[in-house]
Amino acid sequence: MAPDGLKHLSNVLATPDQLSNSSSSIDNIPSDLETSIRCAGAQLTQAAGVLLHLSQDTIAQAIVIFTRFWLGADGGSLRIYSVKDVSAAALYLTAKLSFQPTSPRSVLNVYTFLLSQDASPLWFVRQSGAPETPPSPETYILSEGGYQSARLVLLRTETIILRTLGFDTHVALPHTIALTYLQTLGVTKPAVAQRVIQHLNAALLSPQLLYVTHQPNALAVAAIYLASREEEVKLVDGEWWEVFDVDREELGFLVVGMKSTEGFMRAEVSRWKNRAIPMVLDEVDAEIERRRMMEEGE
Amino acid sequence: MCTTKREGYRDKETKIIFQKRDPRPEDVQCTIQIQGGALDFKSNSASAETSFPNLSLFNIPSRKMSSRWANDDPETEAIIAQQRREKELKKRAKAEKQRLEEANKAQARDAKANGELGPPTKRRRLSNDPDAHPDDAKVVKIEKEEKRQSTLLRFPGGEWGPCRHVDNFERLNHIEEGTYGWVSRAKDISTGEIVALKKLKLDNSPDGFPVTGLREVQTLLEARHQNVVYLREVVMGNKMDDVFLVMDFHEHDLKALLDEMREPFLPSEIKTVLLQVVGGLEFLHSQWIMHRDLKTSNLLMNNRGELKIADFGMARYFGDPPPKLTQLVVTLWYRAPELLLGADKYGTEIDMWSIGCIFGELLTKEPLLQGKNEVDQVSKIFALTGPPNSETWPGFRSLPNAKSLRLPSTSAPSSAGNPPLLPRSRFPYLTNAGLSLMSGLLALNPASRPTARQCLDHKYFKEDPRPKPREMFPTFPSKAGMEKRRRHHTPEAPKRGQEAPELDFAGVFGGAPGGDTGEAGAGFSLRLG
Repeated sequence: MAPDGLKHLSNVLATPDQLSNSSSSIDNIPSDLETSIRCAGAQLTQAAGVLLHLSQDTIAQAIVIFTRFWLGADGGSLRIYSVKDVSAAALYLTAKLSFQPTSPRSVLNVYTFLLSQDASPLWFVRQSGAPETPPSPETYILSEGGYQSARLVLLRTETIILRTLGFDTHVALPHTIALTYLQTLGVTKPAVAQRVIQHLNAALLSPQLLYVTHQPNALAVAAIYLASREEEVKLVDGEWWEVFDVDREELGFLVVGMKSTEGFMRAEVSRWKNRAIPMVLDEVDAEIERRRMMEEGE
Repeated sequence: MCTTKREGYRDKETKIIFQKRDPRPEDVQCTIQIQGGALDFKSNSASAETSFPNLSLFNIPSRKMSSRWANDDPETEAIIAQQRREKELKKRAKAEKQRLEEANKAQARDAKANGELGPPTKRRRLSNDPDAHPDDAKVVKIEKEEKRQSTLLRFPGGEWGPCRHVDNFERLNHIEEGTYGWVSRAKDISTGEIVALKKLKLDNSPDGFPVTGLREVQTLLEARHQNVVYLREVVMGNKMDDVFLVMDFHEHDLKALLDEMREPFLPSEIKTVLLQVVGGLEFLHSQWIMHRDLKTSNLLMNNRGELKIADFGMARYFGDPPPKLTQLVVTLWYRAPELLLGADKYGTEIDMWSIGCIFGELLTKEPLLQGKNEVDQVSKIFALTGPPNSETWPGFRSLPNAKSLRLPSTSAPSSAGNPPLLPRSRFPYLTNAGLSLMSGLLALNPASRPTARQCLDHKYFKEDPRPKPREMFPTFPSKAGMEKRRRHHTPEAPKRGQEAPELDFAGVFGGAPGGDTGEAGAGFSLRLG
């Protein structure tokens, strides 16, 4: 029996039911669109966290909370909640519980900037990337009135996230676990550790939702496996992953999942190179309408 | 986390043969047991081979070459070989029997769990079969768990789902109002279980959902311990800000119990109570949780002598190095001196101070240090412990509020021992060991206080009278059970968001302005003994 003392090293995982039925799919959002939007939302959260000077563990936890929110028939639907609002609220909520809380105003300022069509450096908001000359501040500054209404939405969304997740905000991350495992394996090369962290952060964006389907120890082991291969560092002989309680099958799945994230992201970039990924409700509706028209036209 | 345990030489005779005939250690099979499961591998090949822990841990490998110790006499050889064959046969039979038993058991279990559904799927089900039994998913999960546990440690992974509605509970009676919520007794309509329902107070905070409420839920969900109140779930009401915590119901809180009792607890009962509080606290501290509001009214008891730490409205995670923290924590009477002197870096020692106050309260039934305000509290503390000096509490002078503190020049001569013993006269019925524990807990210098772990090992709990077994603990009529409970006159925990007051302690030793009016002086000159 696994003791309760290990709770801080483990996570709640999605049930098969939650993985195959999402509230968005019930609302007739095509699953590829849902995946694209969810992945873009995770990137948005990451970018906002960086701009807010939050530490990566806070950001990673926020992305996991964000990901959990959309899963299952009881989860949030992209037809009801804007992905940008959920991203902002998840980040605000996670920061509040961390050692580095941040204010609603800072969060909303950052999101206004990141979603500005004229100033955003994000590829899925502004396809040409960050503008060469800084645009006029009016294009990315939140007005006072705008702030007041956005704040209400932020706080309301925060409560909705809490209710949807049953107030369970605990997220255990694989990053520190991976470093401990690396030390246990006697790997001292910094490049490996760096590559491990890179894989773990990339996996946050994975369309296979690795963080809500696997425990952190398994993610850590898979990242170490991949990184040591890539950096050509020889690990001990034998099935060392079993020492870290991961079986071969799970490891194999995770390694494939992690390796495929890059290809997925490249495909996303080329798929959406002509138009922005919808971040708010109206844009989602417009995108679905556009697809419907295309189908009818053919 | 994992213990290495050799499990080989079950059989003496085999062992002898082993040593005699083949001393090479690399042929010995060993089992490394990891909590919850076992990994068997042959240490000579280093290839991990997983197997059920109960099945033939110990196969005797066939020997091809004889070692130096081999007996050359063919007759003896033959006898030994014969013995070995017999042994082998017995062993096989035994393993076979064991396996059959195991299989039978498993079958019985399957049949029980699955009804008539046939053999369970062993793998985690990844697709949703619409015609599958609705409970099947759960069964498969349990199956999987059981199967997996025989090899690798499985982490406790739960699920998440939306909050249920509070209408699933029928409210029975009101129990109490605390700083952060109203508590009532309620019945789970579907199961009939009695629970405590705590409504969180969410006054339209400008920062959204109050961080205290979030921390309360987060810490309670993670602090699963026999001496910590069990949070079952969080349910919601119709309005956005109706949030209720559903917890196990307990008949008493320690404060009400002490109020109702004619005589204080017996020494053995005090130890039982104290051991449970400190045991729970030790767990919390080991999980990086500070409670920050320990007091008798936050300690719940049931009629089976079990004590639970409750009310995590002030609790939070801490780190190393400690993050910046508010000093506005802990109900005044239980607040540690470093908090009163305005320290913004503090640690688990503040909980230990509160334990000291609770200890004192258990002895006399009365709260130990009942200050009227912060200044009075400080003077009451110093009246008990004697004023601090640079020997007993190095560095206290640099605390923000210590500047206004005027200490009497004739500092009491420092008694032997650090921390100094408290005056015997305040606790006449306490043994020497008890007094030394109390003096440690109520040491002014936080660094001198014992940790929860050290506390548990203190000789006070080892000497007679021994802690009373929980089953022998007296029972009391429950106030919370049926009738409305009267509100205690303990001060409340400080409210969040208040400004930490700039305190002027000039009066602490002068009987001047803000200080104490009732009692004569702040009194260590009047101290007995």
